[in-house]
Amino acid sequence: MSAAERREGEEAQQADAETRQATVATGPRSEGEEILRAEGLIKDFAVRGEDRMARRRAVRVLDEISLSVRKGESFGLVGESGCGKSTLARCLVGLLEPTGGRVVFDGLDLASLDREQMRAMRRRLQFVFQDPFASLDPRMTAGSIVEEPLLVHGEGDRLQRRRSALQMLAEVGLTPEQASRRPHAFSGGQRQRIGIARSFVLRPEVAILDEPISALDVSVQAQVLNLLRRLQAQYGLTYVFISHDLAVAEYFCDRVAVLYLGQVMELADRETLFRKPLHPYAVSLLSAVPVPALGGRQRRAERPQLIGEVGAVGARPAGCPFEPRCPVGKGRAICKGERPSLTDSGRGHLVACHFPGELAPPARSGQAAAGDLRLAAATPPSFGA
Amino acid sequence: MTDTDPAGMPDAVEDDQLALSVRDLSTVFDTPRGHVEAVRSVSFDLRPTERLGVVGESGSGKSALALSILGLIEPPGKVAGGEVHVGGRDISKLSERELMKVRGKEIALVLQDPMSALDPVKTIGAQLQEALSVHQPELRRAAARRRAAELLREVDISEAERRLDDYPHQYSGGMRQRVAIAIAIANNPRVLIADEPTTALDVTTQAQVLGLLDRLVEEHRTAVILITHNLGIVSEFCDSVAVMYAGRFVETSRCDHIFLRPTHPYSEALLRCVPNPEKLAEGPLPAISGFPPDLAMLPRGCSFAPRCPVGREIAQCHESAPERHDVDGPAGPATVECHFAVQRSVEPAVAG
Repeated sequence: MSAAERREGEEAQQADAETRQATVATGPRSEGEEILRAEGLIKDFAVRGEDRMARRRAVRVLDEISLSVRKGESFGLVGESGCGKSTLARCLVGLLEPTGGRVVFDGLDLASLDREQMRAMRRRLQFVFQDPFASLDPRMTAGSIVEEPLLVHGEGDRLQRRRSALQMLAEVGLTPEQASRRPHAFSGGQRQRIGIARSFVLRPEVAILDEPISALDVSVQAQVLNLLRRLQAQYGLTYVFISHDLAVAEYFCDRVAVLYLGQVMELADRETLFRKPLHPYAVSLLSAVPVPALGGRQRRAERPQLIGEVGAVGARPAGCPFEPRCPVGKGRAICKGERPSLTDSGRGHLVACHFPGELAPPARSGQAAAGDLRLAAATPPSFGA
Repeated sequence: MTDTDPAGMPDAVEDDQLALSVRDLSTVFDTPRGHVEAVRSVSFDLRPTERLGVVGESGSGKSALALSILGLIEPPGKVAGGEVHVGGRDISKLSERELMKVRGKEIALVLQDPMSALDPVKTIGAQLQEALSVHQPELRRAAARRRAAELLREVDISEAERRLDDYPHQYSGGMRQRVAIAIAIANNPRVLIADEPTTALDVTTQAQVLGLLDRLVEEHRTAVILITHNLGIVSEFCDSVAVMYAGRFVETSRCDHIFLRPTHPYSEALLRCVPNPEKLAEGPLPAISGFPPDLAMLPRGCSFAPRCPVGREIAQCHESAPERHDVDGPAGPATVECHFAVQRSVEPAVAG
């Protein structure tokens, strides 16, 4: 092989790697511009007490959440049920009005917008719902479901709208023939594609994805994740990706915030958070994820188990909300009495803990090494996508 | 799992040792679209304390299998053939009345949604006591209540005495699932079938439920069938695994085998489509193309052939249904229904 040939080969390889990088759209991005920001966000819900006669009281579901999402990234919000991730997502798009604090989208405070401005903003900021069964009108065809946002926002004429809708459906892998069918005729994965098409047809800049794949079958999950990745690369979209599945969040997100009882416990880029988590809650959560690889029984036996369940929202302690379950801080005076503030432990790795790093993160070697002997050896077959 | 000799009479002593033995179980649904074969001649054995994971996509027949074993298939479906032996006794020919004595006592079921097992208008205590008295009518009220509290403690519900008087809505999701398990184990069954028991739960709660099932197996020698789509849970809980596709067990083996050398292309595909952060650089996730086949119109050959990366282009796969092959992989024996089973069990990289 001549030097020229080799260089050509290398270039081709590099180009290949670059396109792959583009389609995959991962890896630590350079510090992008901020596009969406939450500032000390508070959300209270009024609930009735246990006793039927009790007065209504406020329950704090979001407790001073501050975070900033950068242009073009996938920002993950993870945590167990009741941690406030869906409420936060709804506040971020203005579907819920925060009790305190503010949401700033591209320099605009959402609360300061009038109706018309809010409308204009809505098309730049879209929401994809979790349940593809509940979020599609059963009486409408797939085509009209995707066309509807265009109609609402007065886009083009009938023909243009129709064309855009069909084009969007094609992008998510549905044929014009399928556009005339109603939701019941589609599988769960296909319905989620329709939901995605509806949200993306207005070409938003930011999409909030609320557990977009958790209602789907494993094989279909992969298809939808791939689709989201491709659309992101194609349109330079920013995602806020909500998930209770940490493996999926790690696979999909560039930066991730771990929430617990309405507070950010830890926030870092993917690599840092999943390799070097500092908060005992993040560590416990990560080590609880079952890995499909050899030696699972052993792994589970060695794993520290969290005591109890997520505390009731509203019944939060004065100190750290995780203290009652924390393997490190349980019973410690400072953890009980004083709420730790979210502090930068270096390079944007934020953690709210009095004793960060005291609980050792789980070993990560098993995943790639043991489980994939065969898979690594085999040439990747094309399963199609 | 073991296989009894199909030619000879099953050894009585041997049979006694099995908690569950399923032979050629088939279930069909007569629908307007035709004859749907949801379970197609499935056979397996389960010893006491054995933990079998059944994995596959939705529509592969996992839940239908569970209901068929328990005789809970409702019209238009019916068990079309096969035998189910629980503790050596064939329950497949029993009347509904007799079956009711077996269900809950010999073999119990836990479902994904605990609310489907719990009555919202009865207290937790009343429901536990009911589960107990159905099979132990001689049990006095006070004794049943004591035993109910004991069961709640066994599933790690604190202040059990007081919480007996709570209603299901006062419990969290994880606690409800533990109550559903408490009801299932109330009569100390030989076999517990858990259908996606942790799918609706958070990871930390999931770990608690698995820990609870561990104790159940160890202390009561219960055999467990865990139906799940999560291969991670199979790895962390099960001894053996059956991969189900289009109503058949297409690969059965000890757990190690499936993670070391998944031999059926479907098993391999299932493992591959789990997001693995270590493989980000490899590009899009290898999703399995297409859908599970329409069980009313099964292809003539291998039911996975239309989606199979190995056999999609191979005539044999489309024309003849593969036989069962007993193969010897690097992590022990496995039974695989694939024309390329033997080849793939020794040589990982078959036609890519």
